[in-house]
Amino acid sequence: MENFDLLMHGFGIAITPFHLMLMVVGVLLGLVVGVLPGLGAPNGVSLLIPLTFTLDPTSAIILLSSMYWGALFGGSTTSILFNIPGEPSSVATTFDGYPMARSGQSTRALTLAFMSAGIGALIGVVVITLLAGWASRFALRFGAPEYFAVYFLAFAAFIGMGSASPVKTVVSLATGLLLASVGMDNVTGEVRLTFGFSDLLGGISFLVVVIGLFGIGELLATVQEGLRFRGVSSRIDLRDMLRTIAELPRYWATTLRSGLIGIWMGITPGGPTAASFMSYGIARQASRKGAAFGSGRPEGIIAPETADHSAGTCAMLPMLALGVPSSATAAVMMGGLMIWGLTPGPMLFATKPDFVWGLIASMYVSNIVGVILVLLTVPLFAALLRVPFSIIGPMIVAICFVGAYTVSSATFDLWLVLVFGLVGYVLSRLEYPLAPLVLAMVLGHKAENAFYQSMVLSDGSLGIFFANPLVSSIMVIALALLIVPKLLHIGARLRGRRPASQEIR
Amino acid sequence: MTVRRFHAEVATAIGTGALGAAAVIGALELGHGWSESGPESGYFPFYVGVILILASLWNLGAAIVARQTAQGDDGAELFLDRERLLRLGRFIGTMLAFVILTVVMGIYVGAASYVAWNAWRSGGYRAWVALAIGCGFSVALYLVFEVAFLVPLLKGPIEPLLGIY
Repeated sequence: MENFDLLMHGFGIAITPFHLMLMVVGVLLGLVVGVLPGLGAPNGVSLLIPLTFTLDPTSAIILLSSMYWGALFGGSTTSILFNIPGEPSSVATTFDGYPMARSGQSTRALTLAFMSAGIGALIGVVVITLLAGWASRFALRFGAPEYFAVYFLAFAAFIGMGSASPVKTVVSLATGLLLASVGMDNVTGEVRLTFGFSDLLGGISFLVVVIGLFGIGELLATVQEGLRFRGVSSRIDLRDMLRTIAELPRYWATTLRSGLIGIWMGITPGGPTAASFMSYGIARQASRKGAAFGSGRPEGIIAPETADHSAGTCAMLPMLALGVPSSATAAVMMGGLMIWGLTPGPMLFATKPDFVWGLIASMYVSNIVGVILVLLTVPLFAALLRVPFSIIGPMIVAICFVGAYTVSSATFDLWLVLVFGLVGYVLSRLEYPLAPLVLAMVLGHKAENAFYQSMVLSDGSLGIFFANPLVSSIMVIALALLIVPKLLHIGARLRGRRPASQEIR
Repeated sequence: MTVRRFHAEVATAIGTGALGAAAVIGALELGHGWSESGPESGYFPFYVGVILILASLWNLGAAIVARQTAQGDDGAELFLDRERLLRLGRFIGTMLAFVILTVVMGIYVGAASYVAWNAWRSGGYRAWVALAIGCGFSVALYLVFEVAFLVPLLKGPIEPLLGIY
């Protein structure tokens, strides 16, 4: 019941007129960001962080997390109405959402998506509420070697469990770690890897990199396709909406299953995108009428949406309790936390209970605010996509550059955005995963510090990572995550059960 | 003018490998071994750089192998065809011009000209409408960033003449 009291205290912080206003603003901004191509959730949050420096951290995180929820909702809107996923995690929603909307049931499709997204998020927050206290107490036992082991676990999970080629994930991670180590070394105070460029002395801001990789990079992908938006009617019919809400309980099994998948993928570093695909796939297998998927089945909308949002919400748990974000957006938010002077991790629960529980309580409120707002404003945001790309595209580009400039008022960052935009486009076209790069950039310093401290403790022996049961079990899990998926894959290939054409990479 | 996927893969692998090599060289200058107090500051970048080089070599090899096995069925996959390359080239070209203009003249002039140019050339709007859209956008930027959030943006030589600092 201890958590319950803390949560009530959190509600006291979250439900103030100012914070409610921040939630509305955050959700609306998130919707804009989610609807527009090239402005995804990680990028949107990066753009907003420099503007939050004047707010106190609790208000700032409420604003940023509300924006994240809004972006998740916005991503589903375009998936359904335009067959264009506004976010990578809403790709799976296009499979059944767009066909349903095209057959004249756009209200039904949108309502299903938003309601199940809201339910998914609530499932996620309930899990966070129940586990937060326990997770942070557990993490209080962690020393430097355990922390390094946890970071290693996060990296290993991306390599072993990600859908991309493992070696490409390694490249992405290593690039992120190297980018993070440019500038002042925070252990020895030496200047590293600047090669004499004074612009690099302060290091490379991960915000600038995210804006380039995700913002400009995604926009270039849009341009390459020569995208023209062909939308379906976006009017919301109130009676249809109520009828759809009444039909929701029928899909309780799909909802529950997808929620669980989302929780699992959110806490382990699978992330919302993997969760939504996995959930869609399992819903299709579980359904008796499997063949009808892809033609506008309600389960085909509910499954990815519930999983997407519960994963997105649950990604906040490892970020807060361990300081290990499991999605790109959570990584950016964690970077923001560190800029505000907070250290994510177990001590946060002890030293800043107002911040942690205010945030958790705000997740309940802002997701409900989000569902209501998104249902009210869908026609408005759908209209945004009817603005010609020749106008909205350059505006997005300009906003990305402006946002990068506000990070540290350096013109050098403008060039960095341009370079990372091109890099991000090429890398994502070649199926290099970008989320590990961001994660590595945010965690780079912390991982290096933890490694350094462990080495000092052990006089340079790697044995310290297997010195006690706690750290060795984390390391064993990490190594297993690294190796087992590939062994299974090779094993399956040796037995020749899968024809080469069907291999899942 | 087309770009094949093979060439893109190879160029990327060489690029990431070069980044790793740069890190290794930088780390060697700093010292990558052990000092009295623990690892020297080049230790971490050195080994990450080595991993990056090895992984890049692997990707390079994988691209070459993939090309040899794919040779039988209709050549290599296209990365960018002519039309897309042109479209991307135009977009990146104007974006580059925007950045140069912004660095010289400030963000407001840069953004207004960039938005107006695109609306005029690729949007097909009349010149004065396009210019109005561009200027309106810059005014909106000013109101949001400098007035509402008190965040100063990059200014060029023109703004002081208008009394904006």
